[in-house]
Amino acid sequence: MDSPEPRFAIPAAEAESLAVLSGLPVPQWLPTLVPSAKTLARPPISGFHVGAVGLGSSGRVFVGVNLEFPGLPLHHSIHAEQFLLTNMSLHSEPHLTHLAVSAAPCGHCRQFLQELRRASDVSLLVCPDPEESAVGNGNPGSAMDYAPLLTFLPHRFGPHDLLSKNAPLLLEPHDNGLSLVFDPSATDSNDADDPLVKAALEAANASHAPYSGCPSGAALMDGEGRVYKGSYAESAAFNPSMLPMQAAMVAYMAGGGGEYEGIVRGILVEKEGMVAKQEETAKLFAKVVLPKCEFRVVHCRVRSGEKAGG
Amino acid sequence: MDSAEPSFVIPEAQAESLAARSGLTVSRWLPSLVPSAKTLARPPISRYHVCAVGLGPSGRVFVGVNLEFPGLPLHHSVHAEQFLLTNMSLHSEPHLTHLAVSAAPCGHCRQFLQELRHSSDVQLLVSPEPDLDSSADGVGNVGHGPDVDFKPLPVYLPHQFGPHDLLSKNVPFLLEPHDNGLYLLVEQADNSSRSNGNINPVDYPLVQAALEAANASHSPYSNCPSGVALADRHGRFYKGSYAESAAFNPSMSPMQAAIVAYVAGGGGGYEGIVRGVLVEKEGVAVRQEETAKLFAKVVLPKCEFRVIHCGTKLGQQQCEENGGGIQSKRNY
Repeated sequence: MDSPEPRFAIPAAEAESLAVLSGLPVPQWLPTLVPSAKTLARPPISGFHVGAVGLGSSGRVFVGVNLEFPGLPLHHSIHAEQFLLTNMSLHSEPHLTHLAVSAAPCGHCRQFLQELRRASDVSLLVCPDPEESAVGNGNPGSAMDYAPLLTFLPHRFGPHDLLSKNAPLLLEPHDNGLSLVFDPSATDSNDADDPLVKAALEAANASHAPYSGCPSGAALMDGEGRVYKGSYAESAAFNPSMLPMQAAMVAYMAGGGGEYEGIVRGILVEKEGMVAKQEETAKLFAKVVLPKCEFRVVHCRVRSGEKAGG
Repeated sequence: MDSAEPSFVIPEAQAESLAARSGLTVSRWLPSLVPSAKTLARPPISRYHVCAVGLGPSGRVFVGVNLEFPGLPLHHSVHAEQFLLTNMSLHSEPHLTHLAVSAAPCGHCRQFLQELRHSSDVQLLVSPEPDLDSSADGVGNVGHGPDVDFKPLPVYLPHQFGPHDLLSKNVPFLLEPHDNGLYLLVEQADNSSRSNGNINPVDYPLVQAALEAANASHSPYSNCPSGVALADRHGRFYKGSYAESAAFNPSMSPMQAAIVAYVAGGGGGYEGIVRGVLVEKEGVAVRQEETAKLFAKVVLPKCEFRVIHCGTKLGQQQCEENGGGIQSKRNY
């Protein structure tokens, strides 16, 4: 089946068979998806579309695209590679083996990719030219120009410099041991039963925040009651960290969400009084980007007797 | 004068004579400044001190350190290399020739450094402090002898993406003079002047300083320049210009740039900052206003902060919601 519509996730069996149909092994077939993946990007500020296609160890193929948000500072932008990793995380894909991108990843992304346990081994292919990414020039066995990520960021700085070997890294399971704080002054006492709050709490519990110890999660709901959750994902280099609202937006896009006005509710869950605090920034994002969204922040804490993981 | 206290700028003659006293050229002497410069860093979240020491063609030596701000998301952090470039910009140093850092620059910084026109020629040396708890291997330690190993920046970021991919050659790069042709809306007799309200004459010099910073701002991708000026209780001003990265996210916000000016200018605790102004264009695609206000609220407890909007003389063009700064490789 040749699927004309670009998608954000392709199951393993389908990826295999589509690659076979093209006469290529899956890694060599990946780059052919890049041109159509690019069309899914939403970069209204730069007009510069970027597509990233990744192959996981499960055999599934994932797509990432860049998103830009007018009205906010540029650090709210989402890069295609970050979208890809967030998308993989949503689908519990544990490893990234091959990555084909429409443009050389910027330093910010090369740094964010270091959060993967075997970052140095990720095979990266830059394929800016549609002609170059077409079926291997009639030569199915020809080596495409994949190079290890290490060559794109030599003498790297990353989690291995700061964390112990058993600390979970990005895409590995996290459990931060968080539960909701009961707020007696809150008028809405149904938080524990609210599926959106529960989803945001799950996202916070899955959040990769080993450097600040400040995990957080966001969940968005559309008009049909569908929930999209996103976890804060920290970078050892701090600034490239992926914000929880941004991660939830990736879930929305990858989940087939359309316009941002479709989002009607949003919740951020984080610990109170944190050093890396998301609350005001998340509220600003909702105010500027999600005009129909009722947005609220709910606080959580580490369950007593539990040690926050990661 | 042998300065026992580390400082953020060393004049040319002083750098020459201090290097000569160590029997080294200035570039090889740079790494020896790293250990003491690190102490100037303010990283209360990570407690991981980083410094960057840079040499410009003027012969002056500049220092950058990392700053972190509890209570804000981590993207408000200032990296040592960004501090360094901002410091150089404050002092109108046009180029960076050599850079010694206490740790390998992260990808975010390697990307930000691409904003320099001659980034490919920047010579970089990673000079971690000898680990006193284990045997130092002598590689890259204080700049003596043959282990000093400057490498060109492209070694650290091959296949780079940067301004050369997006801008025409006559657009100014970071550290080059910019004039964004901005003016305060309050000076105009049109309807837009009401958006700024009244400016107290006492505030006018600070507002002017912020406007100067906005006019010097490097924002070729979104065409949304902005600037901040902060005042301490002694009436000293510290200006910072927004500096954009081709990769967007590593851009340096104007508040951060002004904080660099404060720290590099000998400022003490942040509670010493009593007034602040942000100047930016109104209703533009890349807007600093709310984020700058949040920064002031969290980091500058004694600071009265306000935002003033400006217009542009360049074809009276407002930056549209859809930006478009890079699509037309415009000539300034």
